[in-house]
Amino acid sequence: LTSQQYSVKSFAMSFIKHLVMRLTKPTLFTNMPVTCEDRDLPGDLFGRLMKEDPSTIKGAEALMLGEMLTLPQNFGNIFLGETFSSYISVHNDSTQEVKDILVKADLQTSSQRLNLSASNNTVTELKPESCIDDVIHHEVKEIGTHILVCAVSYTTQAGEKLYFRKFFKFQVLKPLDVKTKFYNAETDEVFLEAQIQNITTSPMFMEKVSLEPSMMYNVTELNTVETGDEGTSTFGKMSYLQPMDTRQYLYCLKPKSEFAEKAGVIKGVTVIGKLDIVWKTNLGEKGRLQTSQLQRMAPGYGDVRLSLEMIPDTVNLEEPFDITCKITNCSERTMDLVLEMCNTRSIHWCGVSGRQLGKVSPSASLSLPLKLLSSVQGLQSISGLRLTDTFLKRTYEYDDIAQVCVVCPYMSRES
Amino acid sequence: MDNNETPAQRPVTLDITGAVEVKPSLSEAPISPLPSLLPSSDVHFQEESIDLGGESFITPEEDSHSTPSESLMDKLNDQMMESVMISDSPNNSEEDDVVPMDNLLEQFEEREEEPAAAVFKETLVEEEEEVEEKMDDLIGQDTTEIKIEAAMMQTSPVASSPEEPENVKQKLTTDDQDVITVSVSAVTPEDSTPSSGSPKPEAAALEASSKETTSKDESIPVCTIFSQGSQPKAQALVPDGFQPTLIKSPSFSSSTGGSTEITPSQLAPLVCQPSPSLSKFFSDSGHVNPATDFFDSFTTSSFISISNPNAESPKSAAPPERQLSASSGSSLSTSGLTESGILTPSSFIGPTQTEATPRPLQQAPVEPAPATAPPQPFTQLQAVFSGGDDPFATALNMSEADKRYDAWLPSEETRKVLISMATQHYSQVFVERERLAMPGLKFDNLQGDAVKDLMVRLMGEQAAMKRQVLTANSVEQSFLGLKQLISTKNWRAAVDLTGRLLTAHGQGYGKAGQPSSHNTDSLQLWFVRLALLTKLSLFQNAEMELEPFGNLDQPDLYYEYYPTVYPGRRGSMVPFSMRVLHAELPQYLGKPQESLDRLHSMRTVCQTILDNLEQGLAEDGSMINLTQENRQASLQLWKSRLSRVMYAMANCLLMMKDYVLAVETYHSIVQYEPQQKVQLLSGIGRIFLQIGDIKTAEKYFLDVEKASLEKGSGTIDTCVLMNRAFIYLSQNNYSEAHSSFAEVLKIDPKNPVANNNAAVCLLYLGRLKESLRQLEGLVQQDPALYLHESVLFNLTTMYELESSRSTQKKQALLESVACREGDSFNTQCLKLV
Repeated sequence: LTSQQYSVKSFAMSFIKHLVMRLTKPTLFTNMPVTCEDRDLPGDLFGRLMKEDPSTIKGAEALMLGEMLTLPQNFGNIFLGETFSSYISVHNDSTQEVKDILVKADLQTSSQRLNLSASNNTVTELKPESCIDDVIHHEVKEIGTHILVCAVSYTTQAGEKLYFRKFFKFQVLKPLDVKTKFYNAETDEVFLEAQIQNITTSPMFMEKVSLEPSMMYNVTELNTVETGDEGTSTFGKMSYLQPMDTRQYLYCLKPKSEFAEKAGVIKGVTVIGKLDIVWKTNLGEKGRLQTSQLQRMAPGYGDVRLSLEMIPDTVNLEEPFDITCKITNCSERTMDLVLEMCNTRSIHWCGVSGRQLGKVSPSASLSLPLKLLSSVQGLQSISGLRLTDTFLKRTYEYDDIAQVCVVCPYMSRES
Repeated sequence: MDNNETPAQRPVTLDITGAVEVKPSLSEAPISPLPSLLPSSDVHFQEESIDLGGESFITPEEDSHSTPSESLMDKLNDQMMESVMISDSPNNSEEDDVVPMDNLLEQFEEREEEPAAAVFKETLVEEEEEVEEKMDDLIGQDTTEIKIEAAMMQTSPVASSPEEPENVKQKLTTDDQDVITVSVSAVTPEDSTPSSGSPKPEAAALEASSKETTSKDESIPVCTIFSQGSQPKAQALVPDGFQPTLIKSPSFSSSTGGSTEITPSQLAPLVCQPSPSLSKFFSDSGHVNPATDFFDSFTTSSFISISNPNAESPKSAAPPERQLSASSGSSLSTSGLTESGILTPSSFIGPTQTEATPRPLQQAPVEPAPATAPPQPFTQLQAVFSGGDDPFATALNMSEADKRYDAWLPSEETRKVLISMATQHYSQVFVERERLAMPGLKFDNLQGDAVKDLMVRLMGEQAAMKRQVLTANSVEQSFLGLKQLISTKNWRAAVDLTGRLLTAHGQGYGKAGQPSSHNTDSLQLWFVRLALLTKLSLFQNAEMELEPFGNLDQPDLYYEYYPTVYPGRRGSMVPFSMRVLHAELPQYLGKPQESLDRLHSMRTVCQTILDNLEQGLAEDGSMINLTQENRQASLQLWKSRLSRVMYAMANCLLMMKDYVLAVETYHSIVQYEPQQKVQLLSGIGRIFLQIGDIKTAEKYFLDVEKASLEKGSGTIDTCVLMNRAFIYLSQNNYSEAHSSFAEVLKIDPKNPVANNNAAVCLLYLGRLKESLRQLEGLVQQDPALYLHESVLFNLTTMYELESSRSTQKKQALLESVACREGDSFNTQCLKLV
């Protein structure tokens, strides 16, 4: 039953060889300098051997990093966002010409199958000892198992149609760990801290880490220190990240004016933007990732928001100073507000407590100048404002609204 | 994505997009068993579908290959990508492939024999378990191929593993290449957890390999480096600079350890096993070595009395030879002079007549016992060397050059001992034994020639007969012979010869920890030996033998310790180069911090000596007047030494991947070696390229262009072109990179780097055949330049990619290597095992 089939099969097998090699970047050969001086026993021998060695740097033989390129020695690691490149060679090992060769390279991931071949055209004929070469590239977009499926079909001189496939399996790993943290400022600004950790095993040059803001925000990057014309990176001269090192990037987001005016509008979850990260490793091997949309829960202001529009940073002891509060009705109904001012140990409010502020409709706000003084030196927290909605008999307390630095004016004058 | 869980105030781990979680929506035909194959119309196809059922894949050709070939070691070292040829489909549209599982399983076992294909070197075997799980997930909805593969991964280990233990030896000796078994057998069932399982087979293989070697040549201790594959490949080929692409992620490290990182544990297999062969060495010639007895009794004391032989007769008029033999502890087997003046090995192992009486403890050897000993062979050897140990000669022309080269600043403690040696002429100075350097060989024989071994394995004894290299026996047993071995790149033989010469000096095998005296020549021999071991990447051996030398600061390593032998001579007997070697060694053994420590203290000494010289003092800070000429020469020497130390530091930092400091240090060398500015700046630029910082690299390359313009050569320097090529390469512009390398070749057609790099670029451009032709042509035309491991590695890699006949082509390379290269050739770059 089978002997004839064997021969057919084996015959077919020996026609064509199909080989694949991943093309990571080549590496620079390093040599190991072992030197001696002329008076030592080997005399100039070691020096001569090193000069004759083609991989050393002529004139600076003790320099370890050479210029000789060597091909990748193993598959290595591949990370999300990097480009998978591979050499595909189909070689006719037989003594006969074969015809109608079709080489296909597909990449099977856990979710899809991609065709990577540069051309899907059939090669009419392949002479003995000649080969079909193809270099394929693919930017890796998924984590996990990938299988490169290479298929070759061809026709022998005898007219047999033959076909075989090979599978090359590899894992795609995650290169970076990204953590974010939001800080809400007193104003409507939001600060984003992004911690980026290199979880590969080689150093990474961070070419670009930028925040692409959503339509509501403008962004300022706070990762350079302005010195003269050019800003210098806060990460020092060399912007590379060692394995397992983490770096903090800071961004300041300001709501665009059209959104900022509707203060009540920024509520709940908002989309801030996404981080765009470009890195490079050995000899410019490039990788690029974007995070998913970063989202932030806007701080809840309750029904009535009290924010400060004006406040001095330093005030004199026991001297009245002015602040301006802004009261915004964040609720869906109209409110009728009464303001009470309670003194604390250090803060003393000037003026009448319990005054009527009148009706405030939804999303409307009113400005409120207030006068107060501090009886204690140092950094003092302004507390003790109470707003009562007379419709619902609900009281809202506002403590630690802001801080002022209280100084004694006489001391400084004397000195 | 998950919109609901993004609280503002706590860190959130983000999903990285790209990992789109799309459910597989594949249009493949439903998985169905065999019947679906049958309706196929083509006759051949129908036959093939039945083929899947069994041994059908054994072809005559494959049969001959089917012996398990690779040693287990290689299997562990080589991370082969799984390349599995699964189905010869009856249909041309592979998406519709449906193959019965059972058939495939059996088929896979056959497939293992296929001398396959992939140049992929990595399987990620250790992930297999995990993969299986993932694969299980896939099986449900996914293509058949995956299902098949998952199944194969489960079965194949079972199929292959039971044979392994018995086959290890066989595998070591057979010559075939077998790719697939590699990945499969590494995952034996016991290996289910990579961390615990993987070391086992390695150990087994080691055992096997060492068994093999020991059985071959009895008790002669032979370094086991030649049991192929025991040396981690990548490590041998490239010390470290390579790592960026090679390193495994931490989760893989446990079982892929063999590949890249240099850690002591991985180097362990390289260690030569010490064995007490020397006594055999001696007894073979039918004589007892009385020196051993002498030391046995002598060393029971924890103090060694050192007396000044001048005590009774200052400036004794003893003939030089006599004194030398006395000072060297008379541990030598002192055979007569051979008339010819050329010493044969037997003269070393010859009898010792004189020293039969053990010396009493603590007794001041006022009158050295063997004063009447005939001249030793060793002293004769010394005559060949210009260093001149003749005490008279030294005393008479204690040259300025000696002073300059030997200068060193001992530690405070050592300095005190040396001062008391110099002052207390009439009493003994006791030096604790622990404070002396008592070196001895730690292993005996490196012997062997990997090239020849490989030829025997692959081409048979007959072909291997053609390979002739010099051995320790075939040269003059002297420094001349040693130099001959070194210059012909027979470093293994050279190491053996240093061993013999040191044995003759009484610092042979097993002598470590026993007192012996040093002289200029013995330390030069040690230096050469250790340098060669380092060159051969036998770092552990070098470390073992350096260990008795401590930090190279023991008092008996200074000339002042031997006032009679070296009257008036001062300074370090240890050559400066040996100190550099001593400092550099730990970095190759995974202890770069230690290297840095040592290098820093060397740098301090160099700096202090330079300061002394600049302040008008002698090197050691004494108030000796130096002529202007001598001062200049000394300043120059010590500046070059300082720069050598700085180079070592920068190299070490680079190895540690501390790029900031490495760049800084390389930068600082420019002030000492201004003529190397271009090379240094280019090197720094390449470091930035390695990190991936192309912009900064370009800045440095621009500086190089300026510097080379300053030199005013008019034409563009080759190194400027070379740098441009590297920039193009980093921008993935291989065709421009290729033309830049080609431009270098227009100026300097014989430039091996440009030639090799141009060929590498061709491969990345998809021009394999051209690239191969170019490299092959180079190797044939100018083997002296191109039989270099980096070029050969590239060439063999391309052979593997080109066709299944790579083995024959590699063997041809081996033959050309055999004609030219010495025993130190690293055969691993040929990838023949």
